[in-house]
Amino acid sequence: MKRRYAVLVGFTLLLPLIYYMVHPIQPEARLRVAVTSSLYATGLLDYVAKKFKDVHPDVEVLLIPVGSGAALRYAERGDACAIIVHEPTLEKSYLDRKVIEGQRILAVNYFIIAGPRSDPANISRARDVVDAFRRIYDAGERGLTYFISRADDSATYIREIKMWRSAGVSPTNRRWYVECGCGMDQALIMASELKGYILSDVGTYTALRARGRIQDIDVLYNGSTDTMLLNVYSGYIAKRCGGVEREYADLFLDFIYSNPDIVDRFGVKEYGSPLFYSTKLFGDRIVDLWRGLALGE
Amino acid sequence: MAEVFNTIVRSVVVSGAATALASLWSIPLAYTLIFRSRGSVLLEAIIETLVGVPTVVLGLLLYILFSSSGPLGFLGLLYTPHAIIIGESILVTPLIVSMGYRSLRGTAHLYYELALSIGADRIQRMRIVVGQSLPGVVAACITGFSRAIGELGIAMMVGGNITGYTRVMTTAIALEVTKGNFEEAIILGVTLLLITISISVSVKLISRVWMIWRSS
Repeated sequence: MKRRYAVLVGFTLLLPLIYYMVHPIQPEARLRVAVTSSLYATGLLDYVAKKFKDVHPDVEVLLIPVGSGAALRYAERGDACAIIVHEPTLEKSYLDRKVIEGQRILAVNYFIIAGPRSDPANISRARDVVDAFRRIYDAGERGLTYFISRADDSATYIREIKMWRSAGVSPTNRRWYVECGCGMDQALIMASELKGYILSDVGTYTALRARGRIQDIDVLYNGSTDTMLLNVYSGYIAKRCGGVEREYADLFLDFIYSNPDIVDRFGVKEYGSPLFYSTKLFGDRIVDLWRGLALGE
Repeated sequence: MAEVFNTIVRSVVVSGAATALASLWSIPLAYTLIFRSRGSVLLEAIIETLVGVPTVVLGLLLYILFSSSGPLGFLGLLYTPHAIIIGESILVTPLIVSMGYRSLRGTAHLYYELALSIGADRIQRMRIVVGQSLPGVVAACITGFSRAIGELGIAMMVGGNITGYTRVMTTAIALEVTKGNFEEAIILGVTLLLITISISVSVKLISRVWMIWRSS
């Protein structure tokens, strides 16, 4: 009997220790931010969160990397207070349902088409992006190449579908059209392995390329000047979120918005060019561009 | 709907093939482990530790092997169902060996001597010993199958989750979750569980019927 008590007492003494280990510091508030994985994977948000903590040391920013679709669902269920996503069409439907509010356009970059160096579809000579997609379709039909599609309802995938539709062709169920249902990183690696074409945001491509992971594909079509290939990242507040967390969510999104240099300078040293751009250059025009993308014009 | 059905069938076939392949070497391995006296404790510990190897780690190793710039790239196995089968068969090997070992250990020496006394050769001896602990060995294989069909890392990394080719149930579930389609993911998850349970039950029933039929 005595031994049983000793074990019990010992265990009770252990509990505070375990608790202390799990919660070393109790921050005053925590802020849950669900972010799209392409933004998170580059490390931009960790960097931003660190800068934010310098100004507001009493907040713990918890970044949850998920797809844009899942991030919006998290906001709807109240599992995240702020979200950063890049899917205008879907964002608009959630805005219309009044699930999210307080939009701030935080960063932009653009999509590129990468493909094998030999460029069997000849897209480097394409007039515009729609022509490039038509060329890929023709080359695929002739068995010259593959196209790797995310096929995961991500912003990149939705944009890709729009491009095929604009080109007036449908690649679904074609043998050369590989639907991987995977993240941008893995899709790029697959494109490099299979020597196929792919639509990617420039940030993920640049970061992965610099790490030497995708040496068999190059940028063959650069969408930096094409509004059809603009990639817009917006921050929102979940309507269900309230109290202190909401105040900090507002502060956090405003912090990114009012410090465009953080976004513009991120990655320049590491990768030679910025991965994302602030909306400084666009001014008010960015809202119209976003609306254009949301309405699928 | 057809694609969902295909995914389910593909999951069962791929994991079943992986388990069958793994049992080909795992059961003889478990058998030889029993008659090993030196270092068996160490081997046992190593195998039991490998049971819990993270699937993504194994997936990553296989990806590096199968990658077109890797040593086995010339085989062209990356992003094929065969790669998943190979990966999963490696994954479940420690599990089948350690479970098979434990179920054989109790009776192996007794039946081994019995087999020796009736003049059985090496293969026959193994058949007798394993046959006497068949329910345990079958249970080991079923557990291996459950681990294979429920694993995500390997199927994702070397399979690539390609629609109509390498998508299995776990990668389909992961995909639905990233899409934010939590309901579909739950339905797929429950289906996965039901299929695994019904396969386990039917394999157990078949092996029991077979044991009765053989002894009568």
